[in-house]
Amino acid sequence: MKGAELKHGDLEGLLKGLLDKGVVDCLVVPHRAGKSVSYMLVTDADKIESAASALFAPSFSVNAANLVKGWTIKEKVGVVAKPCEIRAAVELIKLKQLDNESVLLIATDCSGAYTNQVYTEHYAEIGDQADSAKIKELEGKGLTIRESCAICENRLADVGDIIIATGAGDDLVVAGLTEKGEEALTTLELSLEDKDLERAAEKEEIAAEAKAKLASLPELSSLDALEEFLQDCIVCKNCRDMCPVCYCKECFFEQPLGDPAGGDLLNLAVLRGAVGLPTGQLFYHLTRVYHVSTTCVGCGACEDACPKDIPLTRFYPVITQKVQEIFKYEPGKDVDEPLPFTAYEEEELEECLR
Amino acid sequence: MGEEAKEEFEPKVVGFTCNWCTYAAADLAGTSRKKYPPNSRIIRLMCSARLDPMFVLKVLLNGADGVFFSGCHPGECHYIKGNFYARRRIAAIRTILKQFGLDDRFKSYWISASEGEKFANTMKSLTEEVKQLGPNPMRGKII
Repeated sequence: MKGAELKHGDLEGLLKGLLDKGVVDCLVVPHRAGKSVSYMLVTDADKIESAASALFAPSFSVNAANLVKGWTIKEKVGVVAKPCEIRAAVELIKLKQLDNESVLLIATDCSGAYTNQVYTEHYAEIGDQADSAKIKELEGKGLTIRESCAICENRLADVGDIIIATGAGDDLVVAGLTEKGEEALTTLELSLEDKDLERAAEKEEIAAEAKAKLASLPELSSLDALEEFLQDCIVCKNCRDMCPVCYCKECFFEQPLGDPAGGDLLNLAVLRGAVGLPTGQLFYHLTRVYHVSTTCVGCGACEDACPKDIPLTRFYPVITQKVQEIFKYEPGKDVDEPLPFTAYEEEELEECLR
Repeated sequence: MGEEAKEEFEPKVVGFTCNWCTYAAADLAGTSRKKYPPNSRIIRLMCSARLDPMFVLKVLLNGADGVFFSGCHPGECHYIKGNFYARRRIAAIRTILKQFGLDDRFKSYWISASEGEKFANTMKSLTEEVKQLGPNPMRGKII
């Protein structure tokens, strides 16, 4: 991989360069508005200044991939976001919801994030950036990162076209992972040299911590447990709308069979004697978890979106990980690897059939 | 019918079979007068790849005691590769069902058009296994 060393102060110039030199037509970048951080779609390089201080902010509002879902126009968009968001974008490319030729994916290192409301409220303590030591320190004060971040093993940027990796102190490394990424960095006239970003030990440490956290979460291991877990669900489908990889134009659960009303609902009541209202929590979530089973990147946007504060991270990423294991598939890792449901081996999986 | 026989639990099983293999096998079992329990209701699909795993969920959540799927042996699909895709989907949904202890109620088989005997035997063992499991806990729930 080819890359260059930079300082935090160079970030603004880097992003401006992408627009000024015509590498991309527009950028989706984090944007700071006072204490809070969200995204903006920017075409004028002069508007970038708030981005540099927001780039590594440990705040999660929406998944950036969800914002560019369906971006199939030829104008090129650069997306600067956390690794989970870039992985979701890679899955969207495979799902034909994003055009690989018209995106430039730039992943930044993440150390775990707070929900945007926690971040805004505690901006004074958290600041523009937090490394793992600081996150631990804040945990002692009762400020915890999102559960989905705590169980995430892929916080180091290693996907997309370009990565921005944080080093000691003020140091950064910008590197191209794909031809497209290297070409972009060349156009920016950075002095590129061969970079060997050896972060295996760090990655292992994060993975071990994440695994331990996952093991400590209560497991949903029976139908009764799941029923209790979903008791408060009002089937608003916010988790679907905020999910970057849930993309059907006409969702089954917007149709009469999936969203019964009137006579359809009465039929169900006749069939079963009584039907809970709102109905279909189990059917909805079990179907949805199957639909995203191979593509879920575990970003936790579903949990953030839930108005009833159901800890959906204990359901979606936990279960989809088990499905991904049987196909030995890691979502978002490689844009050329086929989606498990679009490929097959002639001899496989017999142990899964009974 | 005696008192005990009346009380014995008779499970309801929904089956999804492909048109070319297992449905033909069920036909063969019938024309060769093989006996098997009448607990299964078969829904014919044109190919095993038509099995949307959502069907399996819906059947189980609506209270059926068992659900099975059966199609052509891998490599012998009428549409060349439909059952290869089906196999992946089934593996995924089985993994999800397993998490909640529902996978015992979902069976999958490969039965070709010439295996009428195997079909009848499979229905016997399937009915027996589901009987052992007892009624689907979803039956009594208000969901």
